[in-house]
Amino acid sequence: MKAAKHIIPILIVGLIISFGIGKGISYAKVKKDTSDLCMECHSKMRDLATKARVHQPVKDGRCTECHNPHASKQKGLLAYIDSALCYNCHDQKKGFTGVIVHKPIAEGNCLVCHDAHSSNNRSLLKKTGAEGCFSCHSKETVIAKKNVHPEVKKGNCTGCHNPHASDRDGLLTKDKKSLCAGCHPEKGEAFTKAHMGYKVAGTDCLGCHSPHSSERKGLMKASLHKPFAENKCTSCHPAGSTGIVKSGINLCLGCHKVSMTGFNKISSHLIPGRADSPCDSCHNPHASDEKHLLKDKEARVCYGCHNDTKEYVAKSDHKHPKLGACSDCHVSHGSNNQYFLVKGNDTCSQEACHATQGKFTHPVGEKIIDPRSKTPMDCSTCHNPMGSPENSILRFEKDRELCIQCHQM
Amino acid sequence: MRYNRKIISRKLKIKMLFICIMYFALCVLPFDTVSFAEERAGVKTVAVINGDEVMGMLKQPSGLFFDEIKKRLYVADSGNNRLVSFDSEFKYLAELSNENIAIPVSLVRDKQGRFFILDRGKADIVFIDLEKKIVKSFPLTGVPIGKEQFLPGRIAIDKADRLYIIDKLNKRLLVVEQTGVFVKEITVKDKSFWGFTDVRVNDKGEIYAIDTLGGVVYVFDDKGVVISKFGSREDKKGTFRFPVSLALDKNGLIYVADQHAGKIFVFDKKGNFQYTIAKPGVKTGELSSPSYIFIDKDGKLYIIDANRVQVFKEERE
Repeated sequence: MKAAKHIIPILIVGLIISFGIGKGISYAKVKKDTSDLCMECHSKMRDLATKARVHQPVKDGRCTECHNPHASKQKGLLAYIDSALCYNCHDQKKGFTGVIVHKPIAEGNCLVCHDAHSSNNRSLLKKTGAEGCFSCHSKETVIAKKNVHPEVKKGNCTGCHNPHASDRDGLLTKDKKSLCAGCHPEKGEAFTKAHMGYKVAGTDCLGCHSPHSSERKGLMKASLHKPFAENKCTSCHPAGSTGIVKSGINLCLGCHKVSMTGFNKISSHLIPGRADSPCDSCHNPHASDEKHLLKDKEARVCYGCHNDTKEYVAKSDHKHPKLGACSDCHVSHGSNNQYFLVKGNDTCSQEACHATQGKFTHPVGEKIIDPRSKTPMDCSTCHNPMGSPENSILRFEKDRELCIQCHQM
Repeated sequence: MRYNRKIISRKLKIKMLFICIMYFALCVLPFDTVSFAEERAGVKTVAVINGDEVMGMLKQPSGLFFDEIKKRLYVADSGNNRLVSFDSEFKYLAELSNENIAIPVSLVRDKQGRFFILDRGKADIVFIDLEKKIVKSFPLTGVPIGKEQFLPGRIAIDKADRLYIIDKLNKRLLVVEQTGVFVKEITVKDKSFWGFTDVRVNDKGEIYAIDTLGGVVYVFDDKGVVISKFGSREDKKGTFRFPVSLALDKNGLIYVADQHAGKIFVFDKKGNFQYTIAKPGVKTGELSSPSYIFIDKDGKLYIIDANRVQVFKEERE
């Protein structure tokens, strides 16, 4: 108990100290107001205060709110690293968290968009409107096409997207259906006529329309399913109804019968869908900006189910260059090769990729047996194409660990 | 009175000490060091089957079945379009290939020695009676029409030789007699349910099925009513990454093969996580891509891992 007598006060002091961290640091009394003292040397900072919007601590002359006047491990003598500094005042829980977090926020780089001291733009933004967004998001991709959504033209990106975080894909401020309906009421003669009399209210507008720009009228997406392009809606739907004329996959197989052979493989991707047909899991039956009428960018479609792979790839320090088009290596419907690989063990040495590999490096192939597994060696014996903590996406440290897996010293 | 106060004060001190220690433990310990999944030691590798010069190398084996009566192991060697059999010491016995079998991926054998095989190439179930030299399609009768066409997935068999066939696209399990006559269908009403990937039945008639994309193991009673479910796919220890197959042991433990984690997760009857078996890798005893698991009455674990079958045995005290 004697020991406890000493431990308890120590722990209490420890608690007080640990609670104190993060509540601001106080310094010894200085001879002038903090800001005046700083400005004696940092005179240029006075100009910052003349801009239309000034960050409150700057306005109040509380330089030490963010900077340590003596020493810091951070650039600019900042008291904390990256966004941790901002979250001292701006509650992270209020608007900066969600299922999807904008990359700069996730990486703690608030200053990619905001100026820490002052700005002539609202919210201390470095650039006005869409110009800030276009610093990272290619303008050419978003608005280069003939017909541009009026809000995009105005540069009102935040009309639809939350620049910090959202629980919805694309950082959307509302769910897709109500977002569009907010400006485009789903009624009226023109609306009904444009949709051939089909009751599309409540459906996903972005299934067919591009929200930013398009070469097609009505911001229709680039590739159209043949019956849709020819206004032959009754090929799939009963007249005037959004129902379908045949149940499930049979609707698609009516025209795409040959596709079924692609699924009848050792590894088959034919899984039940959540919409009208299993095919809808990956494809849009009306229109798409992607090849093969994929309902989204290929990697996003795949990661929709393979979210664990997405997380694995994201966390890997070293990634396969240009990783993104899953179909470069994997067959999307079915394959008789392991892991749905397009060319089995020869997938890496495809013409467009590593055609010369294996010819002058470590031997691989059917006759070269991995002594650990007693199975033939291929590129993936040493490399993990999905990502690795090691250089060259190697499975083990390259100088020794990798080699001694098989070559015992 | 003085004595009592001392006691209270001591209790208070101990309480405070406990609270402080807990506080510091929570602050100081990074959560990564907290281990939820413990790998079980004492798992012996009984055999590794990947082929030899006589039988050739296994190529994408997809399913297997251990016949308790004849004590034989049958492997669906899908890449070579054949079934291969091994004795109880895992020595190669024979192979069966037939023009009526395209790509065998899952199989069971009834007490009379007849095989029921899922043929992925034909999207059909094939019936084989070796004695009568019959290899033919196994038609189902009386099955309620689903929204989708019937696309068979993996098969399980119970002690009464009833077959449990996954109807992939209709997200249901079909229970049929050996004659192919429909008995019942089993499904799940959950919105988060993606469909069944693998199924097993225990001696009580309880049905265990796994939903890979949902990361959930469903347990049904013999009438097909959900009695429990467990599991999730999350980025944290103790949860699944990509669970593809399951098996049951005689003690009621549930073994789940997680293909992307390279491990076998073991749960008790109530779905409480117990431990994992093996670690990711290609060495003997490690798992690189476990895609199918089966447990025999002797407690041996048969795991299809890429182009080999590993047989493990847990050493219990």
